[in-house]
Amino acid sequence: MAKKIKYAMVIDINRCIGCKACMTSCKAENEVPLGVFRNHVRELEKGIYPNMKKIFLPVLCNQCDKPACKAALPEGYEDAITKRDDGIVVWDEAKCKGKVAEAAIEGCPYSNPYMHPQKNVFQKCDYCAHRVDAGLQPACVATCIGGARIFGDVNDSTSDVFKYMATHSTHVLKPEEGTEPNTYYVALDRITAERLEGSQQLPPTDATEIAVENFSG
Amino acid sequence: MQLKRRKFIQLGSAAGAALTVGSQFGMKAKASALMELKQTGSASPTGKKNQEIPYTCLTCNIEDGGIAYVEDGRIRRLEGNPNHPGNRGKLCAKGNAGHLHVYDPTRILNPLKRVGPRGSGKWKRITWDEALSEVAGKIQGAMDIDPMSVMFQYGRNRTHGLVYRFMNALGSGTVNNHTSICECNKKVAMEHAWGPDIETPDFAHTKYILNFGSNLAEAAYFHNPYIQRLMDGKIENKAKLVTFDPRMTNTGAISDEWIPLKPATDGVVALAMCNVILQEGLADTEFIRKYTNVTAHQLTEHLKQYTPEFAEKESGVSADTIRRIAIEFATAGPATTYTYRGSSMHQNGVYTEKATMMLNVVTGNIEKRGGFNLPRGLGFGGGPGPHPPKPPHSILKYPPEYPLASHHVSHHVSHSILEGRQKINVFMLYCHNPLYTQPDGDTWKQILTSEKHIPYSVSFSINMDDSTKYADIILPDTTFLERWDPESMPSSALGWVGLRQPVIKPLGNAKAFRDTIYELAQKIDPDGKRGVKKYFSYGSAESYVKNQLEATPGLKAAGGFKLLKKYGVWPFYDKKKEDNFKFGAHEETLSESDLAGTTLEGRTLMKGGKSVGLMVDGKAVRGFGTPSRTFQVNVPEWEHYGFEPMPHYEAIEDHKRMKSDELLLSTYKPNVHTQSRTPNLKWLQELHHRNPAWINTETAKARGIGNDDLIRITSPIGYMVTKARVTEGIHPQVVAIATSSGMSNKSTLGNYGGSKDPDIVQNTWWDDTGVHPNQIIPVSTDPIGGGMGWFDTVITVTKAKSGDKYGDTRSDRGAARKAFEKALSKATKVRTEDAHNTTAKTNVRDEIHTEVGGVFGTTAKLRDFEDPFNTTA
Ligand code: SF4
Ligand code: SF4
Ligand code: SF4
Repeated sequence: MAKKIKYAMVIDINRCIGCKACMTSCKAENEVPLGVFRNHVRELEKGIYPNMKKIFLPVLCNQCDKPACKAALPEGYEDAITKRDDGIVVWDEAKCKGKVAEAAIEGCPYSNPYMHPQKNVFQKCDYCAHRVDAGLQPACVATCIGGARIFGDVNDSTSDVFKYMATHSTHVLKPEEGTEPNTYYVALDRITAERLEGSQQLPPTDATEIAVENFSG
Repeated sequence: MQLKRRKFIQLGSAAGAALTVGSQFGMKAKASALMELKQTGSASPTGKKNQEIPYTCLTCNIEDGGIAYVEDGRIRRLEGNPNHPGNRGKLCAKGNAGHLHVYDPTRILNPLKRVGPRGSGKWKRITWDEALSEVAGKIQGAMDIDPMSVMFQYGRNRTHGLVYRFMNALGSGTVNNHTSICECNKKVAMEHAWGPDIETPDFAHTKYILNFGSNLAEAAYFHNPYIQRLMDGKIENKAKLVTFDPRMTNTGAISDEWIPLKPATDGVVALAMCNVILQEGLADTEFIRKYTNVTAHQLTEHLKQYTPEFAEKESGVSADTIRRIAIEFATAGPATTYTYRGSSMHQNGVYTEKATMMLNVVTGNIEKRGGFNLPRGLGFGGGPGPHPPKPPHSILKYPPEYPLASHHVSHHVSHSILEGRQKINVFMLYCHNPLYTQPDGDTWKQILTSEKHIPYSVSFSINMDDSTKYADIILPDTTFLERWDPESMPSSALGWVGLRQPVIKPLGNAKAFRDTIYELAQKIDPDGKRGVKKYFSYGSAESYVKNQLEATPGLKAAGGFKLLKKYGVWPFYDKKKEDNFKFGAHEETLSESDLAGTTLEGRTLMKGGKSVGLMVDGKAVRGFGTPSRTFQVNVPEWEHYGFEPMPHYEAIEDHKRMKSDELLLSTYKPNVHTQSRTPNLKWLQELHHRNPAWINTETAKARGIGNDDLIRITSPIGYMVTKARVTEGIHPQVVAIATSSGMSNKSTLGNYGGSKDPDIVQNTWWDDTGVHPNQIIPVSTDPIGGGMGWFDTVITVTKAKSGDKYGDTRSDRGAARKAFEKALSKATKVRTEDAHNTTAKTNVRDEIHTEVGGVFGTTAKLRDFEDPFNTTA
């Protein structure tokens, strides 16, 4: 019997050019309001002139196997966030709103979800589930100019994502949180653990403000 | 805390085979997944079915292919066209936001007539009939006095000849473009060196890339298509990327080495490297012997003056680094350079461009896999006949001081009008915002507000930009998603022809420029007596563009215009060939028929007064698109006008005299914007709205400047007050400011004025929209190429003075004038009777291309036709 589908994304930091095509395609595809993002490319700088380095870290929902956002839901609202069979973490806007949404947003150790400013509901990246269901790549993957985003079924040995993971060493963000992410990174070790610790505090908004943080390599 | 390494899956052999990231043109068959996810397609969140219409992007000038998804008459979404060989289904950050142009809150949807004083913002809506009658009347009046007093100033004009058809029909040669503020020095250098004005490096198969001043990861020709290949080359082919740039760009970030250097010294670094390569015996002397007009010995002797030590003194790049990189470049295997505005838009830019090209010449990396190659693209026919004769060129277009400036000297135009060099009665502006994008913008403001210098001014515009607001009448244009154009760009080795077609009906009463001009011509010449109307009998814009496109050899047989409407693009080479593309266009043997009737002048084969080939060791080959058919290391035409014909470096005078506390001002295009055109697009503005000046930590410290402090930047013509971004990512002698911020028309920005988009009204979270530097940048000019010395301005930077407010900008008219005169004083003193004709000869870009292949096509021959879509079967 064929294994069931499990979606994952690999982001190869060595291929990310910081172009932000993924950010605007996401805004357009999902009609994400100004001020919030489902997908953010952080720019990190390190070093002293002229030995200065700059690196880009795209961040989006990890579609965790143990979603901390879901775990943080108040009693009685456990089904406001659910994990689909294919691994995508989705929410029910009728239930995941107001205080319930706040708790879930608070629960994510990656600061990925946001409150929709007008609808007052929980929202986040869902790997463009509506596209995936229609047989399409997520919007950010389809347009990724650097070729840094690889997406597909990790249970399918013929998929690009399976092959990429088989041939590259990958890391996840904050493995110590025990959330078991499905968004993997190649060359994440170019960025130190300390840097990652700080990354969640970065405002996911003004991209002209480039955080000067520590990272190696 | 330790980051745990985690190998997700360990597995064996077969799955480890090479794979290609992303879906590439013609490569879909490789995937064997049961459920392969397609790159693009319609999946509206509403579940409604969308129309899918291919178009060609014009958010920047790369002309990538896209698919528009239209739902209930509204463009829901844009995606890349997966059939496009250039961008391979991907759009950049700007392209993904391109449909916001259509829904721009400052979009103009009715003809507007000024009712208050110029610039007062008081407008009256009028009908198209009223508007066209008024403009036609003004043009008729001007024609009766002197047709040359009708002026047309365009910028991003992608009509491929319509502006010239119109102006030629009126009998006016007073037409000006914007290329001198873009990259014309690069073009002029390349045209004289090898013919076409651009290169198409084979980044995917190269081993070494030397990048001088281009920022392919964010902008530049051809950002999206090229960076895809460059990353393939870097990651899959393990190519090394070295970037020379005073600023840490994103391209610097992805480079193996970022080497900051003093601005305008790229040329001396390149020449020193060439010298090293020749001295070390690493040069491809056979290429030099066969295909250039100098001998290896001559070149070696000539380049001896450019020692790495001399280059170090000029550029600050150590002689050791120069030697090391030179040897790496010459021994890496196939290698290529890439350059763009950063290196070429200086007063010595033409010399610099030739110097960097020389690296490819001395290593023989021209026209080969992984090398620096001739472009593959097409020009288009001038559309349906008859075609009006060409009137004389205006002095504004080809000032006699710049006989080699084949792409005009647009940044001199405001001063020339001011001094009355060409009397203007009617001024028309199209796809250009000179007040914002030109240097010394206040001189433009001076003429645009002066009814003496510009008695009547018309703007064909999509929205209310900084220059349009001073017009007397605005004729609302359509966006690129509501118009027809033919397109072709050499954005990959696989050439293509593309179509821009309307994906929706124009909004409101906006009218496509092609239609406006057609109707205007009828109004100007209702009875045909003026001899204008006969050139405007082609009917619809669609039929005009169809005519232009179907002149492309092979297209008709492949399915013609219908194919283009359906797929948006026709790749004219075999789609599978990018991986094993045949280069060596200059080595192609001439056929019997090519040879018939030729005579030999030196090594050059002549036919009918034109050079057609080159004799190489007794064989007749195509050669390069120059008068001698060689790669012209020595450009005799430059010598004629008193310039150095051989590879040359000349330090910029102002830079030699810089005092220790003086700095250089640089500007740059951030990855999410296209100069003045995109700041109204909310998703782009959100990502980049303010533009603090980058200043090196040490430089800032010496001036007591901290991050985000208010600073005053003083240039020879004025000062601006902005904020500092203190960073390690910039040369200590350079301050860099992004463009695309600080539009003077504040009401249209930040809060988006009276926008109806509730997202903008409710959720805009920023009010700082930055400060624009162009007002304080004086005119300066490369005497050969006629290009603007954008990155040459000597400045001082201090903490803001008391009373200085963020955004203050002042410029001095007298000082601006003096700067212009200084630029003119460096021009050639050699006057040629037929200077205009000389330039016209090399002007391959702007005129109507009556011959297909006219733009890039000196060597790009169509071959290996294959119908990519099997539509003819
Ligand atoms: S990344 Fe955050 S929002 Fe996404 S599934 Fe994990 S815990 Fe939830
Ligand atoms: S689109 Fe790709 S390359 Fe560009 S910023 Fe996003 S992840 Fe990086
Ligand atoms: S690079 Fe971006 S803006 Fe330019 S044509 Fe391509 S998608 Fe459009």
